[in-house]
Amino acid sequence: MFLAFIFGLLFAISLVTFLTGRYSSRFAMAGSVLILVLVAGYLLEVMQGYSGGITGKYSYPLNAEYQIFFSVGINGFTGPLLLAAAIVFPLSIYISLKEKYDGKFYGLMMLAETGLFGVLISRDMILFYIFWEFVLVPVFFLILMYGGEGRNSVALKFFVYTHIGSALILLAIFSLYAYYFSVYGIYTMQMSALTQPSFVSQIPLFWELFIVAGLMIGFLVKLPVFPFHAWLPDSYDVAPYPVTVAIAGGLSLMGGYGLFGIMLGLKSLFPALVLWILVGISIVSLIYFALTAMFQTSIKRMMAYASAGSMGFVLLAFAAGIMEESGVEYNLVLSGGMFQILAHAIIISLLFVNIFFIKLKAGTDTLGGLGGIYREAPVLSTIMLGGLLASLGLPGLAGFIGEFSILGGSFQAIGYLIFFVIFSMIITASYHIWMAQRTLYGPYNEHLGGIRDLSRPEMAVLGAVLILILVLGVFPSPLFSLFSSYAGGII
Amino acid sequence: MTLIAVPGWLESILPMIFVGFAGFLILAIGMKVDSGKAFSSITFVALALSLVSVVWQSYDPVAGSLVTFNPFNAYFAAILIISSLFVTFPALRNLTERRDIFYSLLLFVTLGMLVASFTMNLVVMFVAFEAVSIGTYVMAGFHKTRRALEASAKYFFTGAVSTGFIVIGLSYYFQATGTFDLTAVTIVSRIPLLTALAFLIIGFGFKLAIFPMHQWAIDTYDGSENSVSALLSTGSKILAFMIMLKLFVVGFPLLGQSVFIFFTILAILTMTYGNISALSETRLKRLLAYSSVAQAGYMILVFSAVAYAQYNGMSAGYIQFIVAAGMLYSLIYIFMKGGAFLALNSIGKENPGLEDISGMGTRSPALALSFTVLLLALAGIPLTGGFTAKAWLFLSLINVKLWWLAVIAILNSAISVFYYFRVISYMYRKEPLSGVIISTEKSVIVPVALAAAIVVALGIYFYVIYFILPFVGFLVGG
Repeated sequence: MFLAFIFGLLFAISLVTFLTGRYSSRFAMAGSVLILVLVAGYLLEVMQGYSGGITGKYSYPLNAEYQIFFSVGINGFTGPLLLAAAIVFPLSIYISLKEKYDGKFYGLMMLAETGLFGVLISRDMILFYIFWEFVLVPVFFLILMYGGEGRNSVALKFFVYTHIGSALILLAIFSLYAYYFSVYGIYTMQMSALTQPSFVSQIPLFWELFIVAGLMIGFLVKLPVFPFHAWLPDSYDVAPYPVTVAIAGGLSLMGGYGLFGIMLGLKSLFPALVLWILVGISIVSLIYFALTAMFQTSIKRMMAYASAGSMGFVLLAFAAGIMEESGVEYNLVLSGGMFQILAHAIIISLLFVNIFFIKLKAGTDTLGGLGGIYREAPVLSTIMLGGLLASLGLPGLAGFIGEFSILGGSFQAIGYLIFFVIFSMIITASYHIWMAQRTLYGPYNEHLGGIRDLSRPEMAVLGAVLILILVLGVFPSPLFSLFSSYAGGII
Repeated sequence: MTLIAVPGWLESILPMIFVGFAGFLILAIGMKVDSGKAFSSITFVALALSLVSVVWQSYDPVAGSLVTFNPFNAYFAAILIISSLFVTFPALRNLTERRDIFYSLLLFVTLGMLVASFTMNLVVMFVAFEAVSIGTYVMAGFHKTRRALEASAKYFFTGAVSTGFIVIGLSYYFQATGTFDLTAVTIVSRIPLLTALAFLIIGFGFKLAIFPMHQWAIDTYDGSENSVSALLSTGSKILAFMIMLKLFVVGFPLLGQSVFIFFTILAILTMTYGNISALSETRLKRLLAYSSVAQAGYMILVFSAVAYAQYNGMSAGYIQFIVAAGMLYSLIYIFMKGGAFLALNSIGKENPGLEDISGMGTRSPALALSFTVLLLALAGIPLTGGFTAKAWLFLSLINVKLWWLAVIAILNSAISVFYYFRVISYMYRKEPLSGVIISTEKSVIVPVALAAAIVVALGIYFYVIYFILPFVGFLVGG
């Protein structure tokens, strides 16, 4: 009930934001922080003693005769994701305060957050799909109206690309729905019914492949991984920084949620061959994105590829976890994958926020134009370095936990293919370090003139996020046990 | 619930009486005065009264073979009245002379639609259909611009040909079944029935503008005045769809497979052709016209699915579900398509291109928002009615295991996103590309905003199909 209340409140806030005119920025800021507080408090309350399954479930019957419900709920996985989304959006709205935006911008931002919340809390397949698709609309308009050069075509590309993926998801959902009817004689869109093992195991081979292909292609486009990623670099690059933060930190949760929140329930549908293909895709995209990132000249674009690269880990964890079927490795690798989704969202938001400040203060975000900014802006550079180290997976920071668990857990399933993964990690580490060296350290680029360091409030906000990353890195067990009990509940 | 205490037979024909009487009334008044406001108001009141009496009827079974009053027919009658209601006031904008004739034509066209709705007899249906066609031929050329006259001429010639096809089809149909009453069909001979099928599909297909018979529609929607285009692409089209629904779902019971093959090919060609052609179109009205060809393609998927379910011996529940999806599509379609054509009224230029709506987002935010909602709906984005309509249609395809057809349809729908969003992206460009005036009059914005609001409401109430489902029982027995 409280969950539905938070969601309704968020929706109301986003609608009101459109009308608040010149107060819209402050209103959106306050609203998103309020949502963050509510979500955090609510999670602390319900996640105590969580041991698998769905909590906080609330169903409002829309039509009793046809078993139609508006139902929401969270589990050990979506709860933390909700929190991550609630952290990312205030952050992106915070940096948007540094530039001039109108009420429409903030309204659309809040609408995007509403859609994202809807995706994460829906326990009804059609509701899930509606929000999944709906999120694209505000983001499309944000890129279209506030983006940089080439925004018209990039916004279109972003939408069409991800829309085609979503369309396939819809077909797969319908197949599940129709097949459920032909087995039990009941129409239902309830996620819990459509993913229950006793039903899933009855689906015949053809429909099995149809459902897996439809859902997986849709989720992989959103994730994204190698052959489906073409929308990502352009969208991240052309979108204004606040929107980039929202897409990279917020919307990237959706792909991961699709895999671990929905596909995990359908894991018995996956033939072994498909899993090996997924492992292959994940390794190719890990290496491909790492190599591509190396050759970027703009740090924003480089980090876009880095973000896509971390998603390779998520897919690897997913495929390897299903191969394990059960046991310690199963829990370890799946929890690692979920941790990676969450850590990536926070780390990549911090990085884009940092790059935004670099762009704001130094006037450029190209590799060639920067250099040695540590001399002028030590705090900014230090936080940036922290983010980069977290992103490359330095022990003690959040990025390490996920990657390490995935490596450790998947070895048994994928064997010596793990060397390719480690190889990609080395490339990733090297271009991160190299980038830090070129931009933050070394001789100062005198063309930049004087750079102001972060102000106190900015320092506080960014520092808080960095501390959060550090805390997650050294003390991951509360979250890890949530993920682990969620994964354990799926078997 | 009875609205007025009248005898049953009178109550049933009350909707038609309102409309027909108002039509003659306007003609009579028009001899003395020429006041657009009065005519449009009378038309509006008559249509509204007619709508009320359609909706609030008890629908006791009335004996008689020529007319059938039941909720299924009433549903379509209501839709068709709404499509006329929508253009009533917007049409006034560009009317300069003989407004009485235009409005009485609109009323008589609606009368034809009503008669066609409330019958299951093919001859009555045909006559009413022709009444609608003749009225709309005149309306298409009413504004006497060169483009409108050309549009009307093309429409008339193809319309005449299609009438010929329908007449031949009807004759063969009678030879095959020995009756014109769709509810009492017993098949006597197969060969004439197949011939009838081909002729009737072509004949009615012209009006629905499905693929090989669509070209007139592009030119006619393009050339006619906006509100006439709106009526042609909503009312006239849904009328043809309804007649085909009655004809092919009820009237061809044993021809499942042939109907299926015919319609599947037509549907795939129509959707794909409409969408692909719209991709490269830069004139707005032609773009919308191509999009309405594509939409017709989605609609006739209903026939494929029904036929497939029939010849695979699936239970009536499946067929009812498909027909309900088609009915829902018709309802939502008139709002999104009619509204989209009416939105073009705001552009102070004939034959507007994409560049002419640039800057609408800043100059008229309310209109731009409404138009955007309608385009989103046409593209099938969730939380708009377009998604509701498409989702249930595709679901009914999956339901009868036509997964490959659903894949084709949904990929088509994904292609269509591209051109609808191109229009949107022009609308929200920061700098206007041309100096065309974009009107911000209330008379332009209100109908569009109303359509958008209804579309959103239908999108939010996603399970609206369960409200429609009971009506289908009157067409397909369960």
